[in-house]
Amino acid sequence: MSAREPALGSRIAARLSGGLVQFVLVVVGLFWLMPTVGLLLSSLRAPGDIAESGWWTVFTAPAQLTWENYQGVLEDGAITGSLLSTVAITVPATVLVIVIGSLAGYAFAWLEFPGRDWWFVLVVALLAVPVQVALVPVSELFGWVGLFETTAGVVLFHVAFGLPFAVFLMRNFFAQIPKELMEAARLDGAGEVRLFTRVVLPLGGPAIASLGIFQFLWVWNDMLVALVFADSDSPPVTVALQQQVRQFGNNIDILAPGAFLSMIIPLAVFFAFQRQFVSGLMSGAVK
Amino acid sequence: MLAAAAALTLSACGGSGGDGGKDDDAPKAKGPNLKGQTVSVAAVWSGPEKDAFRKVLDAFEESTGAKVTLVPAQDPIIGFLESKVAGGGQPDVAMLPQVGAIEQAVANGWAKPLGKGAEEALTTNYSKGWADLGSVDGTPYGVYFKAANKSLVWYNTAVFENAGVEEPKTWDEFLKAAQTVFDSGVTPVSVAGADGWTLTDWFENVYLSQAGPEKYDQLAKHEIKWTDASVTKALETLADLFGNKDFLAGGQSGALQTEFPASVTQTFTGGDQPKAGMVFEGDFVSINIGQTDAEIGTDAKVFPFPAVGENSPAVVGGDAAVALKDSKGAQALLTFLAGPESAEIWAKEGGFLSPNKAVDTAAYPNDVQRDIAEALIAAGDDIRFDMSDQAPQAFGGTPGKGEWKALQDFLKNPKDVAGTQKALERAAAAAYKE
Amino acid sequence: MADGTKTGPAAAPPAPARRRRRWTPVLFLLPALVLLGALVVYPIGYSVVRSVLDKAGESFVGVDNYVTLFTDDSIRTALANNLIWVALAPTVATALGLVFAVLTERVRWGTAFKLVVFMPMAISMLASGIIFRLVYEQDPDRGVANAAWVAVHDTFNESSAFPKAHPGPKSPLEKSEGGSFTTREPARAGEPVLLPLVGVAPDKMPEDAAPAAEAKADPGKVTGTAWQDFTRGGGGTPSVVDPEELGYPGIRVEAVKDGKVVAETRAGPDGTFALPAEADGAQLRFPADNFREPYNGVDWLGPSLVTLSVISAYVWMWAGFAMVLIAAGLAGVPRELMEAARIDGANEWQVFRRITVPMLAPVLGVVLVTLMINVLKIFDLIVVIAPGSSRDDANVLAVQLYDSAFGDRDLGVASAIAVLLFLLVMPVMVTNVRRLRKEARR
Repeated sequence: MSAREPALGSRIAARLSGGLVQFVLVVVGLFWLMPTVGLLLSSLRAPGDIAESGWWTVFTAPAQLTWENYQGVLEDGAITGSLLSTVAITVPATVLVIVIGSLAGYAFAWLEFPGRDWWFVLVVALLAVPVQVALVPVSELFGWVGLFETTAGVVLFHVAFGLPFAVFLMRNFFAQIPKELMEAARLDGAGEVRLFTRVVLPLGGPAIASLGIFQFLWVWNDMLVALVFADSDSPPVTVALQQQVRQFGNNIDILAPGAFLSMIIPLAVFFAFQRQFVSGLMSGAVK
Repeated sequence: MLAAAAALTLSACGGSGGDGGKDDDAPKAKGPNLKGQTVSVAAVWSGPEKDAFRKVLDAFEESTGAKVTLVPAQDPIIGFLESKVAGGGQPDVAMLPQVGAIEQAVANGWAKPLGKGAEEALTTNYSKGWADLGSVDGTPYGVYFKAANKSLVWYNTAVFENAGVEEPKTWDEFLKAAQTVFDSGVTPVSVAGADGWTLTDWFENVYLSQAGPEKYDQLAKHEIKWTDASVTKALETLADLFGNKDFLAGGQSGALQTEFPASVTQTFTGGDQPKAGMVFEGDFVSINIGQTDAEIGTDAKVFPFPAVGENSPAVVGGDAAVALKDSKGAQALLTFLAGPESAEIWAKEGGFLSPNKAVDTAAYPNDVQRDIAEALIAAGDDIRFDMSDQAPQAFGGTPGKGEWKALQDFLKNPKDVAGTQKALERAAAAAYKE
Repeated sequence: MADGTKTGPAAAPPAPARRRRRWTPVLFLLPALVLLGALVVYPIGYSVVRSVLDKAGESFVGVDNYVTLFTDDSIRTALANNLIWVALAPTVATALGLVFAVLTERVRWGTAFKLVVFMPMAISMLASGIIFRLVYEQDPDRGVANAAWVAVHDTFNESSAFPKAHPGPKSPLEKSEGGSFTTREPARAGEPVLLPLVGVAPDKMPEDAAPAAEAKADPGKVTGTAWQDFTRGGGGTPSVVDPEELGYPGIRVEAVKDGKVVAETRAGPDGTFALPAEADGAQLRFPADNFREPYNGVDWLGPSLVTLSVISAYVWMWAGFAMVLIAAGLAGVPRELMEAARIDGANEWQVFRRITVPMLAPVLGVVLVTLMINVLKIFDLIVVIAPGSSRDDANVLAVQLYDSAFGDRDLGVASAIAVLLFLLVMPVMVTNVRRLRKEARR
């Protein structure tokens, strides 16, 4: 009998604290959303309004909302053009890292060669190298071979710095393929190339998805690498916007819609593939 | 290449004469044929300045058939170019906003001397003072396409009328006017403390007027130290204004977060109650006024920087076009920029001042700008180039460093004159050493 | 067959195939190794060598560039800020992530919450920077952070109607302690006084302000007028109630004798006031609360707070990362253990402290270390959020490296910073290598 009462009491307490938890989470959630909502609403207000009042006035005076800024950005073409540059960098950088990373991952998982594990460890160790270390030497190097200020240069740089993680992820994934499967294929007379393309790659789907999402977001969102290496005639969107930041208040009618446009695709990718994104995180995908 | 450039010069000179010449087909500049060539130009301009410059480049494209790309650069432009030159990706032409930057570009071996055509255009159209500013050791490298008169104070006429204040002529009158404007219920002065260059301009105007041109030149070359008594005096004078929280829009801390464009717009928006009554800076302020509803000449007027010493100061700045590649397109563009048509295109857009004598002042959009432009040409060689722009970039032209930073700290704490001087001297010593 | 496969793929292939196979690994690895060698490994060596050469790269200067790291003011600020970053950002993000992960477990819509907090990870640092520049706008009318802050502040402190008001040129008033203004001479009953102030524009006067009037003499009272002694457009006479000038309605007037308030009142719409006879011979004072300026909020991006403000933006971006990893770890904590503890009478806090956190320790460690490395490379956020005037105060090594390399063009110092950054991540690399080798051996 005495055992029941505390149980009841704690259940009430749990119910109460459950309500409290819900309340706290709602408040925190709104708090977390607010900055982004602020950007979105600011992008839908005329620059004159932005200079005079906050975005929250939209709730009391929704008439001020306007597409003006977006029209301006689309007509001007500089930001939309830079979005295309971003795509032109991101897509090849993602595809290449998958291809090259899978090749190397396969070699580390299934091919025999001297010092294999050492090489693998060495490659993975490079995961922690900060990109900053490479800015100066690589700009010189790219200068010599004519890759400076080219899309190809930016792509290669991103691929190189994406490789340690790619190799790590793909090797670990491929290593889980049942040995029997590989042996069977080898006995059937499949060469390594055939084995790779017909057996291993198709099985690598989930890992490739994780890797792809990560590299995609990383390259799309990069500013520093592009700032140094990208063709300044057609910079990607991050650099194009950064140039406007110098006069923040003056250029807010470009910055707010531009920033929002630049977020749409990564956010879409993120929401569509969150599971792969999380599993990438789990395997240590953060640079 | 030379022949083509010379042809351009000839027609450029021809176009400088007449009033009706602009719509006339005959003397219209017809540049060398550069069809299929690309010329890239780097400039730090953004917003309306960029748009106006684009129009100038469009005219060049039209007359030559070349394609010109405008590369947006970051401050400091020398650093930006460094990152590009390292990879051989430098633009054909860069618009360098500092004398020091030209010297550095020459010292680094990036700059190419003016070709014959451009040099001829330069000597025909520019006074010796301006030509010298673009030369290093006697060799001409730069064409000053755009000049700035940095000794102007713009004011909101409604504020002055409501306060019953006249345009002040001296520093004391200026402070008195500020007090009266404050008494009338408006904060008198808008200072763009977030942009360090506006603070260096404040100092230079006070210093040039108070210590005189000789000292000014010495300090610019770092022949006297920043701990000199003349600097103490100038900073103390400046502290009359910066030290009075009530005189600055937003107080000192608010001023430090005010960027230049905002410093102008907040002076000319808000009807009878703008955030400030006056804003100091060059002729280019008019561009930012253009973004408000205020009309230059009626709502917004200008007076020369008040005389601290005997004379009002005349501090100027400018952007020089310098070739970084030995290309035909680069030289043709320089020649074009040294001629009057190019300048007249931007002059029409406003916010522009040309040091080019041949420019028809009718091109300026209003009397205020015409007066500023004519005063600049008339000042001849009595002008002094912006001191911070003559200094090594690390001292005079880098956000968050050197003189910019020291003067921002001074604005934060205007009592600490000695500390400011020490910081200035330390930064200068390091930067000039190299 | 199982026995036959034991020796792996190398089991006795025909001779030409074996030769081919020897080259196969090379072909598979070549693209990766070339890229990594040229763009990741070579730069490390280059930086080490370049860091002991001078600015131009011509002569050997030993450790001079490294000495510069610790003597140059900007770089020292960068080092100090990096310390703050590394100490603060990962811990706060991890702590928040832990709290969120534990709380969301008890809520049915936890996934939705997680998505909201996790979402900023998909946004670029640049866009986040722009987002937070808007949040941190100084003007409380525009920046949401200051709007909220000022709203809270103003519920406790009212601002007054006459912020910038102050005595004009020939005023009988002078500044007294705490921002109040007091008359020099004592006031007499029956002799009306004029207390001119200036500095409030007509449009900013309270709505009930009426044209100022001179107070009537009353032998039993101390009377006077408080008004805006400034005629629009100039032309008014100082210390005279000119026709267009407005009274200061509601301004508080105190009569002070020997530091004690003996009487007080408020002025009417025309600025006139009357104090009882006790005020005779007292000095008149406008207390400071008449002039309290509207609170303008916090300088989020000023020199002293800018680093903390940028760190907050970073936490906004990365708390979701910590939360998701910790939530995954939490899923692996055996429920029975918690239930058992609860049955033993442990409360929620004790369960959290004694069971959840220790069980999560490995995950927390990974999250912390990952964030620390990440924080060392922070660049975009600072460049975008910090305004020019506090850019130097927000400096960190990664930004300094860029400035040194592409601003000052001092590749020696830039390389020294690169080497320093590399050394800072070195311990993590070593641990990674150790762990991997252990796994490989297993």
